[in-house]
Amino acid sequence: MSEFEPKIVSFFCNWCTFTAADLAGTSRLSYPSNIKIIRVMCSGMVDPKYVLKAFLNGADGVLIGGCWPGDCHYINGNLKARRRVALLTEMLSQYGIGPERLWLRWIAASEGTMLKEVAEEMTEKLKELGPSPLNKTKNAVVA
Amino acid sequence: MSERIGFFICHCGINIAYRVRVEEVAKYASTFPGVVVSKDYLFMCSDPGQELIEKEIKDNNLTRVVVAACSPRMHEKTFRAACERAGLNPYHAFHQVCVREHGSWVTENEDEATAKAITIAKAGLSRVAYQDKLFPKKFSVNPNTLVVGGGIAGMEASLNIAASGNTAYLVEMQPTVGGHMLQYDKTFPTLDCAACIGTPKMVAVGQNPNVELMTYSQVEEVDGFVGNFKVTVNQKARYVKSNCTGCGDCAKACPVGNTNDWDNHTKSRKAIYIAFPQAVPVRYVIDKKDRGPCVQKCPAGINIQGFVALIKMGEHEKALKLIMEKMPLPGSLGRICPAPCETECRRQDVDSPLAICSLKRFAADQADWGAIPVPEIDKKDESEKVAIIGAGPAGLTTAYFLALDGYHPTIFEKAPKAGGMLRYGIPDYRLPQDVLDREIDYIKRLGVAIELEAGIGRERTIESLMAEGFKAIYIAAGAHKSRKMNIKNEDAEGVMHGIDYLGLLNRGQKVHTGNKVVVVGGGDVAIDAAREAIRQGAQEVTMVYRRSRTEMPAVEAEIKAAEEEGIKIEILQNPIEVLTDGGKVVGVKCIKMKLGEPDESGRRRPVPIEGSEYEIECDMIIPAIGQQVASEFVSGTDGIELTRWGTVDADPVTFHTGRPGVFAGGDVYTGPSIAVEAIGAGQEAAVSISKYLKGEELFENRQKRPSGKDWQKIPEKTAKAERAKMPELAVNERIANYKEIELGFSEDQAMAEASRCVDCGGCCECKLCIDQCKAEAIDHDDTDKKTQIEVGSIIVATGFDPMDPTPMVQYGYGKYANVFTNLEFERLSNATGPTSGKLLKRDLDDRMQFTSPPKSVAILHCIGSRDKNHHEYCSRTCCMYALKYAHLLKDKCGHDTEIYNFYIDMRCFGKGYEEFYKKVQEEGVRMIRGKAGSITEKENGILTVKAEDTLSGRIVEVDVEMAILCTAMEARPNAEEVMRKFGIGIGQDGFFQEEHPKLAPVSTPSSGVFLAGACQGPKDIPDTVAQAKGAAAECLALSSAGEVEVPPMISSIDKDICVGCQLCIGLCPYGAIEFNDFAGVSEVNSAVCKGCGSCSGGCPSGAPKVRHFTDKQIFAEIDGILLN
Repeated sequence: MSEFEPKIVSFFCNWCTFTAADLAGTSRLSYPSNIKIIRVMCSGMVDPKYVLKAFLNGADGVLIGGCWPGDCHYINGNLKARRRVALLTEMLSQYGIGPERLWLRWIAASEGTMLKEVAEEMTEKLKELGPSPLNKTKNAVVA
Repeated sequence: MSERIGFFICHCGINIAYRVRVEEVAKYASTFPGVVVSKDYLFMCSDPGQELIEKEIKDNNLTRVVVAACSPRMHEKTFRAACERAGLNPYHAFHQVCVREHGSWVTENEDEATAKAITIAKAGLSRVAYQDKLFPKKFSVNPNTLVVGGGIAGMEASLNIAASGNTAYLVEMQPTVGGHMLQYDKTFPTLDCAACIGTPKMVAVGQNPNVELMTYSQVEEVDGFVGNFKVTVNQKARYVKSNCTGCGDCAKACPVGNTNDWDNHTKSRKAIYIAFPQAVPVRYVIDKKDRGPCVQKCPAGINIQGFVALIKMGEHEKALKLIMEKMPLPGSLGRICPAPCETECRRQDVDSPLAICSLKRFAADQADWGAIPVPEIDKKDESEKVAIIGAGPAGLTTAYFLALDGYHPTIFEKAPKAGGMLRYGIPDYRLPQDVLDREIDYIKRLGVAIELEAGIGRERTIESLMAEGFKAIYIAAGAHKSRKMNIKNEDAEGVMHGIDYLGLLNRGQKVHTGNKVVVVGGGDVAIDAAREAIRQGAQEVTMVYRRSRTEMPAVEAEIKAAEEEGIKIEILQNPIEVLTDGGKVVGVKCIKMKLGEPDESGRRRPVPIEGSEYEIECDMIIPAIGQQVASEFVSGTDGIELTRWGTVDADPVTFHTGRPGVFAGGDVYTGPSIAVEAIGAGQEAAVSISKYLKGEELFENRQKRPSGKDWQKIPEKTAKAERAKMPELAVNERIANYKEIELGFSEDQAMAEASRCVDCGGCCECKLCIDQCKAEAIDHDDTDKKTQIEVGSIIVATGFDPMDPTPMVQYGYGKYANVFTNLEFERLSNATGPTSGKLLKRDLDDRMQFTSPPKSVAILHCIGSRDKNHHEYCSRTCCMYALKYAHLLKDKCGHDTEIYNFYIDMRCFGKGYEEFYKKVQEEGVRMIRGKAGSITEKENGILTVKAEDTLSGRIVEVDVEMAILCTAMEARPNAEEVMRKFGIGIGQDGFFQEEHPKLAPVSTPSSGVFLAGACQGPKDIPDTVAQAKGAAAECLALSSAGEVEVPPMISSIDKDICVGCQLCIGLCPYGAIEFNDFAGVSEVNSAVCKGCGSCSGGCPSGAPKVRHFTDKQIFAEIDGILLN
């Protein structure tokens, strides 16, 4: 039986985290391929619906990446993301999905290494947690 | 509507193909619904690659194109352009997915990489079908450019921009352009002197009509977007106008010194200065800090730092004039003021505060008061008369200022002589009568009338004064009533209150003084009364005070003087009953006190100790426990209220009472206080009365008191000097008479004492510079100016700073005299530096003095660079300038000078660099391959440098006379602030982030903002100039295109969905959303919106959507990733 490979959907902001992902690439850092990136302009653009849609589609984890507070290209979009995630994790607990499956991380454009570390950490943690409760009925598939 | 999708996956040479099985991905894509073409190709971004896309679009009527390749940040524009050329709307048709940076380059396993590529492709293929046609808006581009930073990069860029005919606004923080390069001596490898190649640029920048030079300025705010920036620039107050000729006469006269930033603090300069002789603009600047703590504390706001500096320079007359700008009684106050300024004086951090009060007296005593000229006064009409009640310090001051303003004040004084408490409350041995007289005479010469023995309250009242035509009245009647003790028998014969006692004596009347006198109280009045009693013949004088010695309000010097004269001071005791015999005082019963809890004044309340009563035998008791206002004279005058303490009620800012035209100040308003407070109040009252008479608003346009703590640093090695001692009459000469006890400073003493001032406020505003300036270019009232400029592009060229090696204690910088940083050494070598270009060792005892050329020097490479503990990067320039220093030392100090370079690797990569290295080696410079680990100092100042010579494998210890640290180039400390202002990023090394390190080194992800020079990373002068020209070219490209296309991915609100909750308006960081009252919905202003998506992420109804990032599109991507 193949080992459970978590499916992680990530929303990365164009200016910081997406650029960090590019930097991780040019630096040839290796990290688990479980992370699939969707590009948004700002972490503040991430509508709660996107997160819920991802989980409903069977994602085991959702990662939102934005700029460090104070450095948002659009001044404070990341702070709005922070507030939204705080509320979302409440909802996720109530839905039984588990707040540990939604991660919000500040990763600056020059922090390729941090991106790799977060990807590894999240993949590890989700492996321990197991598939999302919405996913348990489906077979574990190599992502 | 059926889509016809074309899918193209790039090999990227082998960069993608080596991990991702590209043919497999293409094969998968061909099975995806809607895909009619699916191909792989070696280099999609190349010409044939793009032609492939265009051909397939045409041949197969493609409606959508998905390219799987590198990051869209690289080639999205390229492929969009290809689609456009083939006739498709690029936003509708094109989407790029990244399988290189996010795929092949980060996934080691081939199966995983290929699977990930397929998933990503699915996401892209799902999304592309939902994309809409978008039409980017074009905006015109302002052809001018803002260049931030006036170093070599900024100057070069500005000149390039100016050559095109457009305007470059060059904003520089320092008073001169030039930057670090102009601080250097010769530059490698050609050994041109920096000034020779730099000053022509500086002059060009100053004279070019297309360069707007704004020095001593900083950018405050940047608004707008590419092509249309609105920038607010703050030009700091320079206090010197543009017609300054740079002659320097002002600096010669300036009494305030500091060290020069441009010379790395190796040289001193004055408060008015020019950075170096070739500065552009050649315009001096005054370094003004916040006003000193003494000036801030003085209730009269006297420019203390100013008059002290003038005394130091021997300008005693000017010092007196400066003091008299704020108060008319310098000689009097200079003898009796308790000097709150001295408690704040920062000199006490070194040794003791300045004797400010006595210096003021000195200035006053130098003048011939009868001969002081009366200033020209523009006299007003005779009807503008003001009545002042009371000729004490408050009344006299108000009269003084009103007279200077041209009004006609008349003072009504109850007593036979003017002066108030100064005359009648203070004994002659502290304040001689003639000192007070000469100052009052001067006040009268200004046009002040004083009517003596003319008290107000009985025949003449405030009402009658108003009827007489006085347009305003100032109540300055003081607080002369003595407070009663409220104990039994206190009205017995032999009890006389201190105020009355002093008053009668000062009137020259005979007063019977007992033999054994008890004075009750601990303030100045009590001390004065006690010392008068001694002089009047009392055998024994005892003071009784209910609190402790430290809490006695009297001036310490006075208390000591009293004790010297034999007065006994009994603390922690309080009288409880006057003992009489036949109505006459025979003694006083007292009780001992102890200190309990603090009361409202914060002082500990004294509490009687039960059963500790005792008696003192005496025949006179003088109570002096506080004063009150005698306010009977205001009774019957409407509108003037009394507070519950009996003082006259008035506004604390304007001193206006409830009765229009009647003002009150001094002790009558505050209750008993000190004279200088009354003088301060007198100033403000004069302002109020003048405004009132002109019909102006009393609260507006009042001068604010200075504040702030940004003061000049006190130099570490300030030598201690004792506070000047006031010469005094010997004690035995004092008691028998009323001769003035304090004799006053001699001129030598005064000037020496004034030299102890540490010049907290920088420029002291003594105005000696104005006297010297023939061009009349100095303006001390200059203020910061904010200007708004409009530009289309911005170049950030803010440069670098050399690292401060002080924290690296192993090298002893700052501790050992002859350890220099690179910049300090450059200043020594530079002809305008502290040694006029000679390379000399530092004097071991005085950092600002230099002695003889060193016979041996160690140059330490990589201090702070290539170092895990500080900066991991190489600073690129140090090896070359280290060689340069070696050459300069050989050249200037003699070829037999021993030079040792301690290096890790030699980086001589540029044009002519390797050749220079060889030449320096041939001069006999010893190269030791091993970074120096430490420097220690021997007793005679010789430095021992320890390093491992890695070529021979031995530890070497080399003794040298001088060591130079090649410190790292680092980002400026304000880099974070600059980054936020301009919307650029910072890399991990602390320098600003370029768009791409190889292909886009001068642009940033923020359109229209470019970088040039060392602010982007350590580099030498040739590379800096190249980048400056590159950045200028980018700006000129924008300007000459005339138009810029702004990406259309901005928000728009679907008015059919919007419910008008207005939540989005608060979320938008740019204020780009407005509420349309008529339609009841919110609307996005497309010129302001930047497309961040805060509104779309937050709207509960889902009405706003950022174009190209709609729900459908994102959902499609999510589906593509997760669903099969």
